[in-house]
Amino acid sequence: MARDMSNQNEDTSQSQQGQIGYIVGGGLKANLQVRLTVPAQSVQEGAFVVVESGGWLFYGLVTDLQLGATDPRFADEQTETRLPPQLAGLLHEQTLYTNLEILTTLMMEQGPDINDPGYEVWFQQVLEEKIHPEPVKTVPQHHAEVRLARAGDIAEIFGQEGKGAFFRIGNTLEQSHPVCVNLDKLVQRSAGIFGATGTGKSFLTRVILAGLIKRDKTAVLIFDMHNEYGPDDTASDTGLRVPGLKGKFPAKVRMVGLGRGATIRGKTPDYTLEIAEADIKPEDVLMLSQELNLRETTPTTLEALRASFGHDKWFHEFKHMRVNAYNVDEEGKRYPAPDSVAAWAEGVGVHPGAAEALHSKLRRLFNATYIVEEPASNALQQMIDNLDNGQHVVLSFGKHETDLDYLFVSNLLTRRIRDVWEDRTNNFRSGHQGAGEPRPLVIVVEEAHKLLNREMASQTTFSTIAREMRKYYVTLLIIDQRPSQIYDEVMSQLGTRITGWLGDSDDIQAVLTGLAGREALRGMLARLQPKEEVLMLGWGVPMPILVHSRRYDEDFWGELLAKKTNRSNDDILDELGF
Amino acid sequence: MSGIEIGRLLRSGTTGFVVGCRVTQLDAPSFGALVRVPLEEGYQVFGLIYDIHIDDDGLVRQLITAEEVPDEVLKDNRQNRNVPVEIAVLALGYEEDGRIYHLLPPRPPLSLDAIYLCTSEEVVRFTGAGRFGYFRHILRDQDKPVEELLAAHLMEARTAQMEAGHSDWYEQAVQELITLMRDDYQRLINILSAASEI
Repeated sequence: MARDMSNQNEDTSQSQQGQIGYIVGGGLKANLQVRLTVPAQSVQEGAFVVVESGGWLFYGLVTDLQLGATDPRFADEQTETRLPPQLAGLLHEQTLYTNLEILTTLMMEQGPDINDPGYEVWFQQVLEEKIHPEPVKTVPQHHAEVRLARAGDIAEIFGQEGKGAFFRIGNTLEQSHPVCVNLDKLVQRSAGIFGATGTGKSFLTRVILAGLIKRDKTAVLIFDMHNEYGPDDTASDTGLRVPGLKGKFPAKVRMVGLGRGATIRGKTPDYTLEIAEADIKPEDVLMLSQELNLRETTPTTLEALRASFGHDKWFHEFKHMRVNAYNVDEEGKRYPAPDSVAAWAEGVGVHPGAAEALHSKLRRLFNATYIVEEPASNALQQMIDNLDNGQHVVLSFGKHETDLDYLFVSNLLTRRIRDVWEDRTNNFRSGHQGAGEPRPLVIVVEEAHKLLNREMASQTTFSTIAREMRKYYVTLLIIDQRPSQIYDEVMSQLGTRITGWLGDSDDIQAVLTGLAGREALRGMLARLQPKEEVLMLGWGVPMPILVHSRRYDEDFWGELLAKKTNRSNDDILDELGF
Repeated sequence: MSGIEIGRLLRSGTTGFVVGCRVTQLDAPSFGALVRVPLEEGYQVFGLIYDIHIDDDGLVRQLITAEEVPDEVLKDNRQNRNVPVEIAVLALGYEEDGRIYHLLPPRPPLSLDAIYLCTSEEVVRFTGAGRFGYFRHILRDQDKPVEELLAAHLMEARTAQMEAGHSDWYEQAVQELITLMRDDYQRLINILSAASEI
């Protein structure tokens, strides 16, 4: 019978094309509603779907699944107990349904068919971004077909692995198609990697850093607070060995230790860094107000010190002053010794108590073994040279793992390096002789909420860099588990955000700061699978997407460091899954 | 096309007609069976039996109230009635020039036209044409026992279709019924309950 055959054809063609439903409602502001024609268990939240309608392709994410019934009584009453199974099945097929809610973000004109000879040319234009998806401005028609994205769709939006700056960061959840991120775009703005503790942020960071180093268009400076990135490490949960960046890129990556004689996990670093006392500026100390619990009088005291002894010497002089040093004069009265803090304070009109308090609070800095009067070598300059010459630097903190060390050193170094980059940029822009374009630099910082919170926002170089948006060729890659503590002005300047599971709703809200209309993604963030799934969104990513993150293991390194072979067009199409 | 003649037309209208037959012809027609009335060359009307009733008359009433009526008299009066058994038929569609339509017939049958029970092939042909449009006629009239009618008809049609090798006709018929009755929960459940008996 005619009806017989057409139904059968519909079923096979549906499953072949991966059709999962058809549009039944919704709109541009609200999400689109889709009636599911396959069992609900075959589609999950976060699935990447494509809607074909009127010569356009609409790309979107599944953000919600709802059960429905044509009449509530069909849902309430268990007709499967009253009717035989065949009839009950037919009844439920028509009266009980599942609807999907889809957030569409991009639309693109439909290219020629895959078998059409014009397809290759069109696809090449897509890769070169001559034809590219645009933000969605209209809606598909009623009953437009909705299907899961194929590998080709994902390649059209996110790029094809191995071509240019595209780096595979993971796979889609439902069909494991590769998803790429454009590394060049990723570092054009400051970016952030977020996730609660133990959700695999470090592994994800290692993957991205490996990609950046391999790509080699940007210099990478990593402040490795816990010695995780440079040297080889051991995974805390599985106990497996985790390869480090230094081991895999021995020539490109310079590992620097903090403090003379530092060793990193038993190995000697390429060179060591010491901070010269002359390099320390009052603002470097002010930045530590919260950490050291400095008083409000501190800025005045510091300014007086600077005025007394000059930019370069104030730290040294202050360090060598004595506290509670009194002499007794001929009359038996006590007066402050000439080399004491109190004496100096009285001399310049600063309250002695305030000066003494500051001195005792700075004891931790005075005792730091990596702050010396005369560093053994000009390691800072060496770092800058390395970064200029196409190498990458990992600064390992060795045994100086406290927050104080981390905050102090990373801020100071970043300030110095950024100043150098600023000069270079200004020279380049004003067209000085021999001034080349500065090499773009990405500074990787962890525990960003300690450096970029509201209190410190005005005091650290990091917030300046974040807000400058690569004016001087420097951007940040911040890694953090408490994004809600980061100053929201900084958060809103972040481009790409890659986030794992977050438990706190404030943190979820913070990650979505500055991105319009992303309420639909909040629920998705709370339901990510820790260690496996991440959500990528923001400026560097064409549209938000949920990915199964790439595993950081020997296979990963094998693929990354493998030599490229010539591939024919057929191979490329095969890989896309056609 | 052969088929058992079950009677002749008493009265008719566009939506249905009434057939009369002798008591001895009564073992053929059954509730819910598909019948046809050929009118002229190439045109015949199809219908569904929805009621078979036997009216009483004066003689039967007298016999019942009488005492000690012999069996032969009873039997004789049952078989040889002056009032025919009436079979009410609902019009479902028609065939004209070889094509089947599930619409109401343009012209009803005429008095004394012969009515035939449809054979299996004819059932398959009529129920398989188009997309179950004739269900509308059955569902339209609330006075009739719609659920039972559908169940009886589905039983007959399913058997005929299975014999002809169309094993999913029944499923499609039920799907169509559900689509038509989706908005009326109670009626649909009643129909499906009846259908679950077959």
